[in-house]
Amino acid sequence: MKKIKLSISGMHCGSCAGNIERALKKVSGIENVTVSAVTNKAFVEVDEKTSEEDMKKAVTRAGYKVVEIEEN
Amino acid sequence: MKEHEHHAQFREESIEDKELRSWKRKLIGAWLFTIPIAIFMFSDRLFGIEILPMDWMIPILLILGFPVVFIFGFSTIKSGLRGFYTFYFNMDSLIALGTVVAYLTGFFSYFGFVADYSGVSSMIMAIFLTGKYIESKAKGKASQEIKKLLELGAKKARVLRGKEEIEIEISEVKKGDILIVKPGEKIPTDGIVFRGESSVDESMVTGESLPVDKLKGDSVIGATINQDGILYVKAEKVGKETFLSHIIKLVEEAQGTKVPIQKVADKITGVFVPVILVIAVLSFANWWIFTGEISRALGVAIAVLVIACPCSLGLAVPISLMVGSGIGAKKGILIRKGEAIQTMKEVKIIVFDKTGTVTKGKPEVTDIYSKVKQNELLDIAGSLEKLSEHPIAKAIVEKASLKKYKKVTGFKVLRGRGVEGKISGKEIVIGNRTLMKERKINFKTFEDKISQYEYEGKTTMIVSQNKKIIGVIAVADAIKEDSIKALKILNSGGYRTVMITGDNERTAKAIAKQVGIKEVIANVLPEDKAKKVEDLQKSGFVAFVGDGINDAPALKQSNVGIAMGSGTDIAIEAGDLVLAKSSLMGVVQSIRLSKATFRKIKQNLFWAFAYNVIAIPVAIAGLLHPVIAEVAMALSSITVVTNANLLRRTEI
Repeated sequence: MKKIKLSISGMHCGSCAGNIERALKKVSGIENVTVSAVTNKAFVEVDEKTSEEDMKKAVTRAGYKVVEIEEN
Repeated sequence: MKEHEHHAQFREESIEDKELRSWKRKLIGAWLFTIPIAIFMFSDRLFGIEILPMDWMIPILLILGFPVVFIFGFSTIKSGLRGFYTFYFNMDSLIALGTVVAYLTGFFSYFGFVADYSGVSSMIMAIFLTGKYIESKAKGKASQEIKKLLELGAKKARVLRGKEEIEIEISEVKKGDILIVKPGEKIPTDGIVFRGESSVDESMVTGESLPVDKLKGDSVIGATINQDGILYVKAEKVGKETFLSHIIKLVEEAQGTKVPIQKVADKITGVFVPVILVIAVLSFANWWIFTGEISRALGVAIAVLVIACPCSLGLAVPISLMVGSGIGAKKGILIRKGEAIQTMKEVKIIVFDKTGTVTKGKPEVTDIYSKVKQNELLDIAGSLEKLSEHPIAKAIVEKASLKKYKKVTGFKVLRGRGVEGKISGKEIVIGNRTLMKERKINFKTFEDKISQYEYEGKTTMIVSQNKKIIGVIAVADAIKEDSIKALKILNSGGYRTVMITGDNERTAKAIAKQVGIKEVIANVLPEDKAKKVEDLQKSGFVAFVGDGINDAPALKQSNVGIAMGSGTDIAIEAGDLVLAKSSLMGVVQSIRLSKATFRKIKQNLFWAFAYNVIAIPVAIAGLLHPVIAEVAMALSSITVVTNANLLRRTEI
């Protein structure tokens, strides 16, 4: 398990955080998603299998953009 | 990695700034076209003045309205309509549908079966964009303390390489580098004073307002400010390992954590948009069927779409949490889990670990009773104890703080009893009762004092000169200055206060009495502390205050774990709340902060719910013009953010 921090743009509304949370939870291997629309950050715990691409895709599908991924 | 980090922070700054700038650009553009639209519409409707012939009105509104809805509103329309095929709806979906439908009525009105709402669509969009701009600005204010924290670190460091002083970027500092910090400068990173002495302002990190003296061997925290002397600091921790980096990480991560009360709001926000869409369609159908007026029905549907505000519901909790975390961080109180601020309200029992929490964790001279002059006594005791390494000896030496030590001959440590030696030909023995009895020194005349100190839980050192007692020095793990004040506040607040310690019953009781803690659980092994907390939990919610180093399980077991420590010696990961300053007043403050933040959360949730519960039915009833509905919506989310900002006025 490692912790990943995603900086996300386009979250300009309270219901956006919920959308991203829902989208990220569907990515395989992801656990413990927390999203804050206030800081524009998402924190996730992932296992080795989870790919950055999948996370990015999920966020894009929900209508937002991942600006930065870094290990936390 | 370093550079990566640097970029990340740089970009973090600009996500919000960019968004703010883009809202501003959009709103200015939108109003530029919307103002003429409003003039055309209202001059006719309100004052009956026809600026434009009726035939021209609709095409001109459509032309002027196009850029407002589809260019300045592009991102909103795009993100909103997207929801209709991805099923990730957000509030944009409501605004997008409302404005697009309203705009299209302009065309349909040519076929004569509906009134023209195209002017209204521009107004809705312009007001929406304005609302977003104001909201973003207020959000920026809400995060100002946290932003300051992110920017707190030093940017450059002056490092000693060989004999040369060179200035380098902070990211280039390595462990073991000797850093030179001049008065007024920030200490670049966590380290140990290698040379020099000064006082350091640590308030930005610990919230402690008084400067702290730093001598050789003392540890210093990066980002704190050197006050008066030049310090040579050996870098111990760099980059992500520093105390400041840990604090930043903690505060940032805490933002997404959930406060339990939020669950209901989250559930509602999750289904909010689809439900509103259904309600809008139903209202439309109802009005059409029952009144036969399709225009009226459309107006109602648009009003329902734009008045519904999932934003205020979704923001109510996180925005309050953010302001609360920010003002806490400024005072050295770090909220690690949002849940803690709700649980804090239910706490009935506060358990304190003794060492390092209630007390300083280091013995100090508390009382001196002397037959000779106090200076004389300390002169002798200090000189003799200087040669011993025992913590009690150190406390005496520190108290005496002699400029010059007397010459000691024949010094001897008598393990577990004391020390002896000769000073200017006089035989000095310092130690406990056992040692005095051994040497057949009579301490009867001091018995009252000695018993009193012992009763108070202090260790008593008897000082004798040529077999005659000249004084008694009492040493104890001293209570922190503001512990008594803090306990007074907590006791009067109705909390059951308990101290837990490995000390024997008598010492523990003495300290508890002195500080004002009502109950004592003594003789507890470190590993049993969690069990004791569990027992206490049978009678109510427990907050545990400890240093987090050897009482991590107890912190975890408790309902609210408050980890505290001085400077970098805290186990940050151990508590729900973390105090960066070593003071029990911090516990009082964190309780106040939690309660105030939670109150704000409740207020915000109430307003957000009340707003939607009242506004939506009013719109369904057809009592609101879509433009008024949009103004109300914008105001509701601005209110939530502004109300959260008011949290700053609370004294904690």
